[in-house]
Formats: sequence, structure tokens, C-alpha cells
Amino acid sequence: MYNPLFALLIAVLLTALGILLFTPERGAFWKWQRTRQLTERVLREDALKHIYHCENHNEIASIDSLAGAISISTNQAAEVIESLQELELLKAEGARFRLLATGREYALQVIRAHRLYERYLADETGYDEVDWHQKAHQQEHNLSPEDIATLSARLGHPTHDPHGDPIPMSDGTIIYPEERIALADLAPDTIARIVHLEDEPESIYAQLVAEGLHIGQEVRLLETSPKRIRFLAGENERILAPIFAANIAVIPISEEPVEEILPGYPLSEVPIGTEAEVVALSARIRGVERRRLMDLGILPGTNIEVEMSSASGDPVAYRVRGAVIALRKSQAAHINVSTKA
Amino acid sequence: MTIEKTNPLDNILSTAQSLRWEIDVDFHEKLTESIYTDAAQIADRATTRPEEKPRFDFDRTLDKIITSKTWGFPLMLVLLMIVFWLTISGANVPSSMLATLLLDTGHPFLKGLAASIGMPWWLDGFLIDGMYMATAWVISVMLPPMAIFFPLFTLLEDFGYLPRVAFNLDNLFRKSGAHGKQALSMTMGFGCNAAGVVATRIIDSPRERLIAILTNNFALCNGRWPTQILIASLFIGALVPAQLAGFVSALAVVGIALLGIFLTFLSSRFLSKTVLKGEVSTFSLELPPYRPPRIWQTIYTSIIDRTLVVLWRAIVFALPAGAVLWLSANVIIAGTSIAGHLINFLEPFGLLLGLNGVILVAFIVAIPANEIVIPTIMMLTVLVSGVTGVGEGAGVMFELESGMETMALFQAGGWTLLTAVNLMLFSLIHNPCSTTIYTIYKETGSKKWTWIASLAPVIMGFAVTFVVAQVWRLIESLL
Amino acid sequence: MTTNTKEACETCPIHDAAALKKLGVDMAEFDYVVALAGNPNTGKSTVFNALTGLRQHTGNWPGKTVTRAEGGFEYGEHKYKLVDLPGTYSLLATSLDEEVARDFILFGQPDVTIVVVDATRLERNLNLVLQVMEITSRVVVALNLMDEAERHGIEIDDRRLARDLGVPVVPMIARQSDGVPELLQAVSEVANNKTLSKPYRVKYTSPELKRAVEKVSKEIEAAYPELPNAHWVAVRLLDGDERIVEALRKGELGDLKHGDLEQRSANLQVFGNQ
Ligand SMILES: Nc1nc2c(ncn2[C@@H]2O[C@H](COP(=O)(O)OP(=O)(O)O)[C@@H](O)[C@H]2O)c(=O)[nH]1
Ligand SMILES: [Mg+2]
Repeated sequence: MYNPLFALLIAVLLTALGILLFTPERGAFWKWQRTRQLTERVLREDALKHIYHCENHNEIASIDSLAGAISISTNQAAEVIESLQELELLKAEGARFRLLATGREYALQVIRAHRLYERYLADETGYDEVDWHQKAHQQEHNLSPEDIATLSARLGHPTHDPHGDPIPMSDGTIIYPEERIALADLAPDTIARIVHLEDEPESIYAQLVAEGLHIGQEVRLLETSPKRIRFLAGENERILAPIFAANIAVIPISEEPVEEILPGYPLSEVPIGTEAEVVALSARIRGVERRRLMDLGILPGTNIEVEMSSASGDPVAYRVRGAVIALRKSQAAHINVSTKA
Repeated sequence: MTIEKTNPLDNILSTAQSLRWEIDVDFHEKLTESIYTDAAQIADRATTRPEEKPRFDFDRTLDKIITSKTWGFPLMLVLLMIVFWLTISGANVPSSMLATLLLDTGHPFLKGLAASIGMPWWLDGFLIDGMYMATAWVISVMLPPMAIFFPLFTLLEDFGYLPRVAFNLDNLFRKSGAHGKQALSMTMGFGCNAAGVVATRIIDSPRERLIAILTNNFALCNGRWPTQILIASLFIGALVPAQLAGFVSALAVVGIALLGIFLTFLSSRFLSKTVLKGEVSTFSLELPPYRPPRIWQTIYTSIIDRTLVVLWRAIVFALPAGAVLWLSANVIIAGTSIAGHLINFLEPFGLLLGLNGVILVAFIVAIPANEIVIPTIMMLTVLVSGVTGVGEGAGVMFELESGMETMALFQAGGWTLLTAVNLMLFSLIHNPCSTTIYTIYKETGSKKWTWIASLAPVIMGFAVTFVVAQVWRLIESLL
Repeated sequence: MTTNTKEACETCPIHDAAALKKLGVDMAEFDYVVALAGNPNTGKSTVFNALTGLRQHTGNWPGKTVTRAEGGFEYGEHKYKLVDLPGTYSLLATSLDEEVARDFILFGQPDVTIVVVDATRLERNLNLVLQVMEITSRVVVALNLMDEAERHGIEIDDRRLARDLGVPVVPMIARQSDGVPELLQAVSEVANNKTLSKPYRVKYTSPELKRAVEKVSKEIEAAYPELPNAHWVAVRLLDGDERIVEALRKGELGDLKHGDLEQRSANLQVFGNQ
């Protein structure tokens, strides 16, 4: 008969080969497929987006800025610009270019796809916040107009993406929210609500997420200096370098003390057997999850009694309006309550 | 896109749309709040509660035990053991009675009848030896355990125990990137995987629902127990003194079932780290109050509704499977039957996996109904090993009077302890039955996921049996 | 005014469970369609079984009925088709089972919708009742699990409840078939237009919300005068519910007149395939 050791070795080798080739994302096969998909269309659409953003921020788009933004060579960038001109999406005025109306509309549709897809990832899938942008960046080029319409309908025609950016409507109009300013520009001691966390570059965004910052959160600026920005987010003090703070946009709101803005403390910290009253659901509970909790009757003012924890400690059961409902700790952590004296 | 602005509907929609921009963020919250406020008011006016709030002592005390850190998990295991044990030991007697009736008496009777009306041998073989025998086997092997398992399970279900299981297991499922309600569909899968797949509808998140569907196969379903029980009692029970044999073989079966649960967690985790990547979404599960079950009604309805439905389905698949089997054993090409060719072809691969060609062919034949794996194996073993004095002829299923005889037959087929262990493993980890596959297709609506759900377990089964076989042989050669 | 079911029944000649003929799955012909809605685990399937003689699966965990079941019964002169819907906490959110239930109440246009309610958790259950009443006024509330309520010392004034809600309320213990005759009586009265319901309307706490809903519902009423639930449609549009937009576009909501049986069963089939 054959040698079993030999058979095992062959099997191990074959498995290793399979893993190298087909590991999702990193496998050689998938990498090869991705480079194949990086077609002209993708380049064109990314270029349109870049120029659109430049125009919106009163910056000048150039071949160099384009090459830098979407990491291609300047030669390639020049080729892309040329093809955009041929398609009458773009007009060159000397060294700078302008989007034509058609190009603007095209760019807005791509942005719409991107932001809708991010909304979808945030509301209906379990992807991590840090992954949203990258995923949406891949998908924005693949969605057909019908796909986009279906997606929008399925999500209940959302108005903003999960970072707080407005989603362009199907006819290309885009509504910008009221005056929003950078966190660092806030006067000390004013209270403001975070309306936008810039998701590019990713490393900075990841840091902001890791700090526990999110859209809808209310903050009070304590101190700004060229070196650091100190502010209260909820009850916690945060210190950020200016480069990080620059990526947070806020809208000032009337001056209530910060402590009352997200009053109480997380439901997850209420001991078993205690009664508490819901005071607020954090804006981190989004989409379907938010609706479901509300439909179950977990609303500001609702009485909740902590009933029991499961055998493994994590989901905890609460008595809410007569029914016993189990919630995971990660959910209960975003429901703020106050305990009665 | 041109929209006629005179259409009243579009006007309404645009009004709504612009109003939504004004109130968007908390519309749903305000709405729900309004409704609940009114509901609370109306309910309050109509209800008189007792002065001092009575503690629902029974419910609370019971919940304290069932969800306690010390007793919660052991209690679950004990209940699982009791249900399995009652099913296994309770099914013994009625199973053999049915076998006597349908196989030992019914079959010769029908054969005699066919002979008396002068039926040609091939028709009589096709109908009676093929179709009738396969069906009779399925009924006698499957009906008794199901008629015991389903009512027991329904009693637990009616009482309100299942949601507590989900509550207790959620943490493990969460760590595997899956949904706690998967515990419910998994438990349903112990009865029937197709039912388990349908039960995944209670999971809202599409990602987690897909995980639950793809891994339901690892819940050892009713159709696979007979295989496990028989092989465990013949080979594993024989390793220990006779008085311990029953207990040890039951333990082996529970071990396989637990391995299935473990594989559920493992493959859920694998899926959620790779193709179905994502963080775990939310979990909100209502724990209903305990309600005393109505015992007789439960037994009656669960036998009528669940048992007979599943049995009917098994029969529908066993009939053609029996026919195919009979034909494959009786149609001779180049001196060997079709089954023989197939077995010869698969034999080397089977041996590599610590199984053999007969077993692999049996698993192919049994795709429509897992219940016929054992009878198919027995029949095919007789066919290829040329053992005489056993069985009823080519393509006919049969039952042997004693374990000894069965054991002797398997040994004539070249079986070892490794064959038995790997057969048990492969029966746990192989493709779902055709009904389940069809259900998966209906539930996911996707050919891709149906293929994955069907093929991935087979590949896993090959991998596991392969590794076990090699390691086993390696150790054997060292000893 | 609503009829008080108990009083009406004591004097009525068909106060008799024998008047009920369970038809099982035989529903080839029927005069009325009755839907069974309610929170999960309140005994809908138990009521369904008691009326049809079928054995739809019941069990003590929320979510076990994931599809619609249909059956028939005959009461008085009429044949009824009864549809057991999946349990839902609300008709607002967007999960599969809620959609099945919501779509049926909305597009199946049942002649009567029985909302089965857990007497021990009235507040939570009324949340759904109020939502159903926004869609249709042809509602009967089955106040089930009265034995459990009693066990916990909870008393419920069903007349008061009926008056406040503006629809008939029938106390029941479905498991023992208690209250089935009264339920049948109430259902037949609503089906035959003998009960005039005046369903309670939710008061919006936020003035902003109220204004928005009023504005949109006025426009809807003007455009679709025959629509019975403009108010509810307005709320759904404001909540971004695409299914409703689509229904308005296709005329599924506006053009269906009540009593148009053929049209209605055609509609049933469409949604039955989902
Ligand atoms: N004590 C009591 N239990 C009931 C009553 N009606 C239903 N049940 C039980 O409540 C549980 C849920 O019933 P089911 O009909 O499946 O609820 P559904 O989810 O609304 O269809 C089952 O265990 C029933 O036996 C009742 O009136 N009294
Ligand atoms: Mg039900």
C-alpha cells in the first residue's frame, strides 16, 4: 500500500496552494481579477469624482492632482483627461479643467452610488465601519442605474450616507446641510453636533472611529491650540491633533450643558434586578436595528427592568412593556438610561 | 428620464420628499413614540393590576436555573442526552416489530402473490424487491424514532424552552460571527434539515441568515441517526464490556452530534471571516413566558403533522431510489452490474478516505433520502463480496436478524474500526439530502449558494475522513 | 357606537358554537376573507386552528409561523376564508414577515382583520392594533390569553377597551376554545356591515410631524378620493416606504373598491406567490 505520510504531505501542499490562490481579497486569483476590472471606465469615473470634489472645495484640479488622488502615472492621467474631453464631459481651460454639465451629472451619479452603497453597508450588513469606504469604492462602478434605484428604494430613499454626507438625488440635485464648520473652528465652550466624519484618508477615519466619535454625537470644545484640540464628546474628554480634528465637521447648536445632551448612562451597566428609564438611543444604533428596537417599544421614557443574563453572560434579558427581550451588550451599550432614585 | 409634472402622484411624492428633508432624522422615532404613548394610555385605562405586584415566581425561578452560569449549559446537555436516549432506546422495539411485519412477512407475501399471478421476474424484482423493499426499510427504520423525537421536541418547544437555548447560545454564535437565533434553526435541524433551513427566516440579517442556511447541514438530522446508531453499537460498543456497550455507543452518537454543533460554530466562523465577512448584526429575541404544554394534543399533532409529512417525503424519494438501486444491481454490462462498475471505479478513492467503494456508492444512491444508506451498503456489500447465504438476491434490501450476522457481513466486506469511524464522520459531514438542497434553493433563490451549500460539506467530509484515515494508518504502522 | 358583543350575543339566535362549520382547507368558494394578525406568540395559530379545524403549527417561540396559512369555516349563512399571518410587533419596520403581514392587510383587503392580543401585555399589543386600525377600520380585537391574565391577577375591562378603541373586543382563551362563538359573532357582524366601527386615531405628539402628515394626506385625499386610508399612506410616504409608492403607481391602492370580489382574489394570488 501507499505511504500515508506521503499522502498527507501532498494534501497539505495542495491546500497551501489553494489558500495562496483563493484566499478572499488577498489570494492571487482575486488580485488578478481585480486588476482586470480596473478598466478605463473605473479610471474615468474616479477622475470625474476627483475633479468634482476639487471644484466643490475651490481647489484646482490638475493632471498631477488627479494622478496623485487615484494613484496612477501622470501619463495615464493625461490619457484619462483626454478621453473625458472626447466624451464631452470635460472642458480644458489652459492647464485647468472644468466639468461640463453632463460631466457634473455623471460625477454626481457615481457619488450617489457610492454614498447609497455605504448607507446599505452601514444599515443592512455587518461590515465594519472602516471597511465601508473601500467596499463602496469598488461597487460604485458596478451598479447600474436600475441597481441604484432599487437600492435607494430598499433603503427607504435615505438622504444622507453614514458619514453624514448628503446623497445626491436621482435627478442629480444635492442638498448641503446648513452651515457646517470644522471642529477646530468652533469657539471654546460652544456646543455642536458632529454632522460629518471625512472618510478619506482611511487611516485618519479609522482613528476617529476608534475614538468612539460618530455622526449625531454632541461635543463641546474646551480648548484649541496649534498642537491639539481638546473637547468633550458625551461625557468623555478627547484630545486630537489638528490634522485629525480637521476631518470632523460640526454644526453649532444652542448652548445646553454637554452633560445633559446624552444624559444617563448605558443600559449595559445597569445591574440585574434594577429598573431604569430610557433617556436616549445613541445615533450609533442605525437603520433596521434602530427601527426594530423602537418597534419593540424601547423609546425615550420607557421603563426597563434588567431581568437576567444568559448562561454565557452576554445577551441580557430586559423586561420592556411587559415582555422579556434579550439584547446583546453591544446594543445595550448604546441605549442610555437613568435609574430612579 | 422625463417626468410629467402634472401627474398628481409625482406632486405628492415630491411634497413628501421635501418634507422628509426637513424632519428626516427622527420621523420614525416620533411616529413610534406617538403610537406607543396612545397605546399605553388606552391599555392603562382598561387594566387593573393587582395592588402589590406579584412576582411571577415560577417563571423567574425557572429562568434563573435555565440561564444560570453553572446550570445552564449542563442542563442543555442533559436534556439533549435524554431526548436522544429516549428516541434511541424507545425506537428499538417498534422498529423491529415493523421490520418483522413489513420485511419478514410482507415481502415474502408479496413475492408469493406476484408468483401466483405469474408476474415476470424483472417486473416483480423492480416493483417488490426494488421499490417496496426500499420503502419498507425507510418506514421501519425511520418512523419509530421520528414518532418519538418530534413529540418530545414539540413539548420542549411548546413549553418555551427553545428561545432560552438561543439566549444561552447567542454568545457562542456571536463569537462565530453568526446570529443567536441560529440556535433555533439548528435545533429544528436535528429533526429535519429542510425544516431547519425554512426556520432561518426568523433571522433578519441576510448575511447571518445565509450562514445559518449553509451550516444547518451539520445538525445531525433524523435520517442520519439510524446510521450512527447502528454503526456505533456494532463497532464502538463492541470495544467495551457488554454491560457498558449500550451506554458507550449512545455516548458515541451524542459525541457525533456535538461534533456537528462544533462544526456549525467552526464553519460559521470561517464563513463570517471570509466570504460572508462582517461584524455580527443585532440580536433582539423575545423570551416568551413558559406555558404548560398540552401533552396529548402535542403528541397527536406532532405525529400527524411533522412525522407523517417527513415520512411521506422520505417514501416519495425512497420509491425511485429503490428502483434505481435494483436496476443498477441487475442490469449487467460486460459481465458486471452497473453498481459493480461504479463500485470498482470508486474503490481506490474510497480506500484512500478510509471508506470503500460500496460506501461511496451508497451515499450517492442515498442523496434523496439519507435513511437508506445502511440498507444500500448491506445490499451492495453482498453483491461485491460474494458472501453466500445472506440477503435476498441482487438489488434487494434486507435486514439481518442479529448484530453478529451484520458484523460478519461487514467484515467480509473488508471493514475495520477505521471504516466504521469514518462512516460515522462522513454521514455527519456530507452533502445535504435532495429535499434540503431544493429548500435551500427556494430560500436563497441563488444557484451559487445552493451549489456551495451542497458541495462544501462533501469536500469537508472528504478532507476530514482523509486526514483521519492517514493519521490512523500512520499510528497503526508505528505501533 | 360599537355593539357590545356579549350583550348582542345573548339575545341573538345563533349564539351557538354549533353554527360553526369547520371547513379545513376547503375554501373553493368564500364570501368573506378574514385575516389573523397580532404580535408573535399571542395565539393566532391557536385561534386559526379552533376556527378551521386545521392543525397549523403552534409553538412557544416568537417567529415560528413564517409563512401564511389559509383555511376556511362556515358561520351563519356565509363562508369565510381565514388567513393566519406571521406575527409582527409593528407594521412599520422592514423585515420579511412584517412585509407578508402588512401586504396582506393592505392589498389582500380582507373583509375583517382579527388582531389577536395578549391580555397580559396589552400596551405592547395595542401598538399593533392602532397601526392596523390606521389601515382598515374593519377590525375585531381578540383579547386572548385571559387565563394567563387571571393567573397574574390582571383584570381587563373589555367594554372600556372596546369603547376606547372603537372596535369590537372579544375576551378569549383560545386554547380552550373559550370565546370562539363571541368572536364568530363579532366577525360576522363586521363582515356584514352590522357593526359600525369608529376606530381610534393616533394623536401625534410632535406638531412638526402632525403638520407634515396632514399636508401630505390632504394632497392624497384630493388625488385619490376613494382611498380609505389616506392618512396612513401619507405616513408611509413620509417614512420613505417604497412599496407604497409602487402600489400607488400601479393603482393597487387607489382603484380597488371594497366588495369587488373577483378583483380581490386576483390580488390575493399575486401576493400568495411571494
Ligand atoms: N394559556 C394559554 N395559552 C395559549 C392560549 N392561546 C394560545 N396559547 C399558547 O400560546 C403559544 C403560542 O400560540 P400560537 O398559536 O402558536 O401563537 P402565534 O404565534 O400567535 O401563532 C402556544 O404554546 C399555545 O398553546 C390561551 O388562550 N391560553
Ligand atoms: Mg402562528
